[in-house]
Amino acid sequence: MQVYPKINYRGGKRYFFRFSLVQRMQHIVLFTCVITLSLTGFPLRYHDQPWAEPLYNFMGGITVAPWIHRGAGSILLGLFFFHTGYWLYLFFKHRVGRLIRDDELTVGNFFKEFFSMEMIPRAQDGRDIVAMFKYLLYFTNKPPQYNRICWKEKFDYFAPYWGIPILGPAGAALWWRDEFTQIFPGWLLNAFYIMHTDEALLAALFIFFVHWYNVHYAPEKFPLGTVFLTGYLSEADMIHEHYAEYTETMKAEGLEHEIKLQGHH
Amino acid sequence: MGLLVGETVHQNMTRWHSVNILLGEKSKYALLLVLLISVLGSMLWTAPVQAEDELNCVLCHKFRGLSRIDESGNFRLFYINENLFMKGPHKRVNCMDCHRDIEKIPHDPAKKVNCTAECHLVEPSGKKKFSHKPVEKILEKSVHGRFDEDGKPKEYQEDYPTCKSCHEQPLYRPLSFFKGVSSGVSRRGLGRCKTCHQTGDFAEDFYNHVTSRLQKTRESKEIVEVCAKCHEDPAFQKRHGLDNVVASYKDTYHYKAIRFGSDRTADCVDCHIVYGESVHSVESMDSPTSATYKANIAQTCRNAECHHEAGEGIASYRVHVDYNNKEKNPMEYYMLKFFTGLMAVVLYFFIVVIFLELLRRLFPNFSFSSAERAEHRQSKSVTKGGE
Repeated sequence: MQVYPKINYRGGKRYFFRFSLVQRMQHIVLFTCVITLSLTGFPLRYHDQPWAEPLYNFMGGITVAPWIHRGAGSILLGLFFFHTGYWLYLFFKHRVGRLIRDDELTVGNFFKEFFSMEMIPRAQDGRDIVAMFKYLLYFTNKPPQYNRICWKEKFDYFAPYWGIPILGPAGAALWWRDEFTQIFPGWLLNAFYIMHTDEALLAALFIFFVHWYNVHYAPEKFPLGTVFLTGYLSEADMIHEHYAEYTETMKAEGLEHEIKLQGHH
Repeated sequence: MGLLVGETVHQNMTRWHSVNILLGEKSKYALLLVLLISVLGSMLWTAPVQAEDELNCVLCHKFRGLSRIDESGNFRLFYINENLFMKGPHKRVNCMDCHRDIEKIPHDPAKKVNCTAECHLVEPSGKKKFSHKPVEKILEKSVHGRFDEDGKPKEYQEDYPTCKSCHEQPLYRPLSFFKGVSSGVSRRGLGRCKTCHQTGDFAEDFYNHVTSRLQKTRESKEIVEVCAKCHEDPAFQKRHGLDNVVASYKDTYHYKAIRFGSDRTADCVDCHIVYGESVHSVESMDSPTSATYKANIAQTCRNAECHHEAGEGIASYRVHVDYNNKEKNPMEYYMLKFFTGLMAVVLYFFIVVIFLELLRRLFPNFSFSSAERAEHRQSKSVTKGGE
């Protein structure tokens, strides 16, 4: 596996490592599928709107678009399984493997390692949210000092990670409805129909407003943040968004004396 | 069949009045003159007439302006587009076969046509005179019949459909013409018929008769509109204690696909008619022989063209869901509430956060903490001093 330097220099500027190539590729597959699914799904949900029919016809119309939708959905469900295998692999290789090497593998240690993974929400996230509201409501001038994965990013992560297992199987059941009803009662399809379309709306609104605000519309990001392509985040963005990780990395790289202050920009 | 054989095109008399008021006396005559000129003008280039029209009714009815305001104030158009008529299902029927009260020409105002009258065509299989009477019998037995089992007239008689409630302009159309799909005439196939059936146009008519019935004669979208004409009317629903089944149907994938031009999903009649029966035989869901009776639903869904692999479970799928009705659809109601609530909580929370973030940028160095404000003032003066 490729080793990524923690800090990269380009044009005399520091860039901080965030996402490996495999992770960036997963993200590209994810957003390609989500956008495709939205374009071929929402015209059906909002069939009585004036934009629905032209958009749907552009996406292939009623004979083609449903197959594009099913294809993209299948790839997305495949990505879900790939990603689950991916983090399980990393978890066992790095964390469980280390426990085995050090002969410290107990049930307690196993769960301790599990819950210390970057993506798992923890008490610090609660403190970060409080710190953020204190800052946003002018109780202090000190912005929240987030670590490597902040609560917003955890939210971004778990939105699709809980959304896909809800949307995907529901979509599959609606796709294989005949076979489904040989085993299950048909009213489950009514439930899946609501799950599929309403969870999809929540996901789409969240992604296209909140997530895209964070990475596209926000004044310092506009028109787009490049970390999803390069895997590296600029120093200014690091200071702004991940100050705790920034100081930690700078210290680890022996650059304590060059650490910049947060909040005065 | 308005435009075809000169039925009524209803227009409110008041509109005609307002035309009068707008135009005044003189202009009215001018308008009449224009009409007259256009009628005379159209005489010059109207193609010669050739229908099954022994009395040459089209001699007058070919004119596009042929119309009048009748006694009850309706604008009536008597124009017959012969091209359309000759592509329609009644092309071999004489005008007077249906318009029987016409005795002299020019004739008095004609009465409404009785669709169940025997016409002069002989039905080839039984050698009997042809009539739409069997349709009426099926309709009488269906949920749309106007008499109950004891032969007593049902309430709200005027709500029950007659032939022309559904088969009327602009809904009644010689389908193949408007659809751009002909009834699949294969010249080669027809050639085989004509080897023996050489007399007249028999082979061609018979061939058309059969092949046009091998496909749906109306687009699904149109069928939904036909049913919606009555079933979408809230007052009608209230009178008969019915749900808004049109609205709930339009929430289904069945309709959405139809809306976008598919002909492969179910419209009203696909589910409400026992597979293979006449479309006139819609029954109430309470009748044991109905396609939508509880015990028959799975079979209806499984009919050869739709969910033929489906299990018995499909019977409990609910097509007509009212998401606002707690009593009738509690699961759907509460699930929708849950997802709407979740959506509201998540999105409002983030909208507030984003709004506050943008607001925070306006005054980056203001703080309610006086200590911090003082610290900031100091650091500013220090930087200034440093410069």
